[in-house]
Amino acid sequence: MSTLTLREAPPERLDFLSITPLSLSGLSQGEAERLEIGTSRRGLRLGDCFTVALDRSDTLVIAGGHERLDRVGASLSGGTIRVEGDVGQRLGAGMAAGTLTVTGQAGPFAGSGATGGTITIEGDAGDHAGGAVYGAKAGLDGATLVIHGRAGDHCGDRMRKGTLLVGQAGAHAGARMIAGTLAALEVGDLPGFGMRRGTLVVGRHGTLAPTFVETGSHDLVFVRLLARHLARISEAHAALLARPLRRYSGDLATLAKGEIWAAG
Amino acid sequence: MPAWVKGAAADMDTALSAAVELLGAARTPVIAGLNADVSAIRAAYDLAGRVGASVDTLGAAGTYAELGALSRVGAMTSTPAEVVGRADAVLVVGSAPWNAALSARILDARPSRGRAAGSDRALLALGGSAPQGGTTIPAENGILPALALLRAHLRGHLADDSPIAGAAERLSGSLYVAVLYDPAEIGEFGVETVQGLVVDLNDRTRAFALPVQGGNQDRAVVPVAAWTTGQAPRVGFGRRVPEHDPWRFDAARQVAAGEADAALWIASVPAPAPDWLGRVPSIALMGDAAADAAEVVIGVGVPGRDHGGVLWNDTRAALTYWPAQGAGAPADLPSAAAVIGQLAQRLAGRSETAC
Repeated sequence: MSTLTLREAPPERLDFLSITPLSLSGLSQGEAERLEIGTSRRGLRLGDCFTVALDRSDTLVIAGGHERLDRVGASLSGGTIRVEGDVGQRLGAGMAAGTLTVTGQAGPFAGSGATGGTITIEGDAGDHAGGAVYGAKAGLDGATLVIHGRAGDHCGDRMRKGTLLVGQAGAHAGARMIAGTLAALEVGDLPGFGMRRGTLVVGRHGTLAPTFVETGSHDLVFVRLLARHLARISEAHAALLARPLRRYSGDLATLAKGEIWAAG
Repeated sequence: MPAWVKGAAADMDTALSAAVELLGAARTPVIAGLNADVSAIRAAYDLAGRVGASVDTLGAAGTYAELGALSRVGAMTSTPAEVVGRADAVLVVGSAPWNAALSARILDARPSRGRAAGSDRALLALGGSAPQGGTTIPAENGILPALALLRAHLRGHLADDSPIAGAAERLSGSLYVAVLYDPAEIGEFGVETVQGLVVDLNDRTRAFALPVQGGNQDRAVVPVAAWTTGQAPRVGFGRRVPEHDPWRFDAARQVAAGEADAALWIASVPAPAPDWLGRVPSIALMGDAAADAAEVVIGVGVPGRDHGGVLWNDTRAALTYWPAQGAGAPADLPSAAAVIGQLAQRLAGRSETAC
């Protein structure tokens, strides 16, 4: 288990794109400490802010996070990263495989464009969790994103594939969804706005757009399979599907092949 | 020529020196506003590249609502002259477009060209109130749900006898539909719904969107940023290459998070300074300079009034040259581009300035 211990609050935003278990495994202590992670004109090296202890394993622990740590685990292709603290934007963005855990809060765009692996945020996430960044094709794109606390607005915006579980999400959860599954114990106003396909499972919810129409209550085998799948990640979310469900179809303003399952 | 340092009147040389000290010592400077003519915007990007600053604009909220939707669903747009000349149905989304000069031109004339020439112009207001003779479409629950409903009706996914259904019918029965909106008012979701609606309308008739983005020079910044950096306006040069990140380089966020440690506010076309300007060591280049707006304030000429300059022309929807007005213009006001150029020159001579 390699460990990076934060010594002091970083004076500028840091970019952790190149800090993965795989990239550190081939480096000596000195080489790792000299990795550029700063984003300002002054620049900053890994050793300036962190105490580095390497053992060439596929597990990396970042002891002491900070909201200025951007792109932690971005493009991760394997191994495990555990952050004991907060992270900044784009946690696990574009990640393909591996396990990423944050014990504190995450900034915006967590899991954006992630195609595989599992991202767990034990605290809250910012806006656009599992959402697409500017100009990107899709948000969450096959990975599993679990947020135990609250997520901000636009959670799962333009998500295309994968599973997103969140405690409470703000407004526009699952907006413009292309496909995939988003389950939330609570969402704000206009969930699924502009969604084309995909499935939203929600407990309490804010105002639904008038372009979602109720299609009655169903007893589908798919729902029981989905519940079994969700139970492996979160019992609370699977329990939503055991409650009486109303199904809404939409968004009629677009392709209208999406659905919202609202637990009664 | 008016200049102030910490609220006290200063000569130009003192003000420039203070500005250079401030920018040169900063770790993460931001250059914001960019409410200026093209030459000043170019100079601002050049300076940002030299000092590793990030760039933000006055109208960024609207600009990114527009660009975000454009990057995802594209856009079918028209020009003000085409809309005034050809549109027999104009749908105005929200209330902001009614304040634009274009609305008066649309109200004052009938279509004069094309297939709809000579016919009456139908005015529909969604989320605002239509003038006499127009149709107001109710949007009690907000503009977004109303827009979505309208689009659902146009696609044939919903059918009833509501006012929105009537509006959908009216629009698809017209010869040339124009949809006016302010991206800052309706946001990225709104713009995307408008563009989708226009695409759906084009299955049956001709329809175009026309963003009305008054009150800033962002439409001039977007092309300058694109031809200079290949990116949209919010770029940062901290790592010596232009990095585009609309979240990270939001100047208000950077100041609130304590990341920015110096700011250069550029508004040679007068615009209200943001409230965050006072919370960080700052320099302001202003067309309507006020001594207490920033730590260092330098009064500059207003382009199109005190000196000539290329500005966004709302009437023509193009960049056009605006000459200086009259002979009595104050000659001692430097242009913002000249001041930024001098800042860059002096910073280059300052040894500890990186880049």
